[in-house]
Amino acid sequence: MWLYEKKTQYPINIKKPDPRMAMNILTQYGGPNGELAASLRYLSQRFSMPTKETKAILNDIGTEELAHLEMIGTMVHQLMDKVPPKELERLHVDTLYAVHGRAVYPSDSNGVPFTAAYIESMEDPIANLNENLAAEQKARATYEYLIRMADDPDVIDPLRFLREREVVHYQRFGEALRIVQEVMGSKKFY
Amino acid sequence: MDEQTTLLEQIMAYDFALYDLQLFLDTHPSDANALRDYKIALDQAENLRRQYQSKFGPLTPRYLPNTTCWQWINDPWPWDPKGGMSNVAL
Repeated sequence: MWLYEKKTQYPINIKKPDPRMAMNILTQYGGPNGELAASLRYLSQRFSMPTKETKAILNDIGTEELAHLEMIGTMVHQLMDKVPPKELERLHVDTLYAVHGRAVYPSDSNGVPFTAAYIESMEDPIANLNENLAAEQKARATYEYLIRMADDPDVIDPLRFLREREVVHYQRFGEALRIVQEVMGSKKFY
Repeated sequence: MDEQTTLLEQIMAYDFALYDLQLFLDTHPSDANALRDYKIALDQAENLRRQYQSKFGPLTPRYLPNTTCWQWINDPWPWDPKGGMSNVAL
């Protein structure tokens, strides 16, 4: 189970609304390489992990991704909060407003709703861990696109933090893959 | 920065160090240096969390201040303006 703590993992305090940037960042909430996909992927895959180290790392990275989902939701909310509808129209963010208002909804930046088809969870841990290595790189690339588009330090700073976490998770999944391969190589697995 | 924000940022920093070490220890469970660092950061984080909660209210529902009303619901929540920086306004 989880116990909620009333703070974000990294400080977020965006003073200047920017609905265009909110729409861009939204893909990391409910898009194909986003934090919801990441957390559901790892928290589902953990049930078929074969060793104590790999059960732990899937559980714990999956949990951290939930904290990242909250950070992204907080950023989208603060960037959209109280912006007048006419201003949203001028900035071409009005199609999102027409569907959800200024709410945070799990979709990508084009409004395509989240789907579990973005993720895989198989019984085979080698297949899962290789998917996760790719997923972390795709998320890292997405954060780099977002950082290039952002100009407010209040936005860039948490995006840089999230980008760095993808790099660390990639490292840990690489170690998990090595551990599983060693176990499978050292005894008859099937 | 006010005292509440400063204290919460210190907790965030130690909690981050703890979480990063946790992931490292998951795949390196016998690393004595990481285990030692985890213990140091854990003591600091627990001490700061005690200070924060006694002054500014609960970070989790498991901290129950000696008052007659349920303070957990107090604004701001982490997504509120400045909420990611400071939480319970008393």
